[in-house]
Amino acid sequence: MTAGVPLDPADHAEGYRKWVEYIAHNHHAANPLTVETQQFTPLAKPLAESRVALVSSAGVHLDDQEPFHIATVAGDPSFRVLADDLDPGRLRFTHTHYDTKSAEADPNVVFPIDRLHEAVADGRIGSASPVHVGMMGFNPDPTPIAEVSAPAVAELLAGEGVDVVVLVPG
Amino acid sequence: MSTVSLCLRPDISFAMKVPRAAYVRFPLGNPLGEPGRPDQQRRILDDLFELLETAEKPGIVELPYRWRRWL
Repeated sequence: MTAGVPLDPADHAEGYRKWVEYIAHNHHAANPLTVETQQFTPLAKPLAESRVALVSSAGVHLDDQEPFHIATVAGDPSFRVLADDLDPGRLRFTHTHYDTKSAEADPNVVFPIDRLHEAVADGRIGSASPVHVGMMGFNPDPTPIAEVSAPAVAELLAGEGVDVVVLVPG
Repeated sequence: MSTVSLCLRPDISFAMKVPRAAYVRFPLGNPLGEPGRPDQQRRILDDLFELLETAEKPGIVELPYRWRRWL
């Protein structure tokens, strides 16, 4: 029994069509992605033995890392590597397409690093990945993410022995 | 690697064919709920873990939480 009620994709197709129309109208560089292949990788081992990483698209980075480029309409497909033992007080949120007020008040609202550590401490998951990843979600043309950044992030995390990735938006 | 997504826009998540996602009716910028509510944040993280353990096929579920103080 899952937590939550299953949604019907048919109820959301029109919403996406309108979204694509809106983006195309407002961003000349827009190039909405079409995903053909449905991925579904079952858990390789119990969660209590799994290593878990966070990947956030909320524009999260450390105060001594280069902020994401938000002055351009082209977006920024780069990513920041965040050590697991970071100080949450040093997290910054560079993103102009959502209100960062809540994240600034409590980083766990978009990057639940303290909650992840609690899940390790009480045995719900095996371990936290030594590194997590911050990205910035505003990319009217996501091609560089699909072709460059996402494979690089996957390779990085696989190299750290990560079994499970939790993806969180902004 | 297995993935689970927290989701604020199910139409986009369906179009991206994410393997598993949990939709919350929260405003952008608040995917794990309200600031200063660690209990709510942990509950939602645990819901994502449960979805990883129970989903047998691709899909998006809606979590039952509601935003009480729309910004």
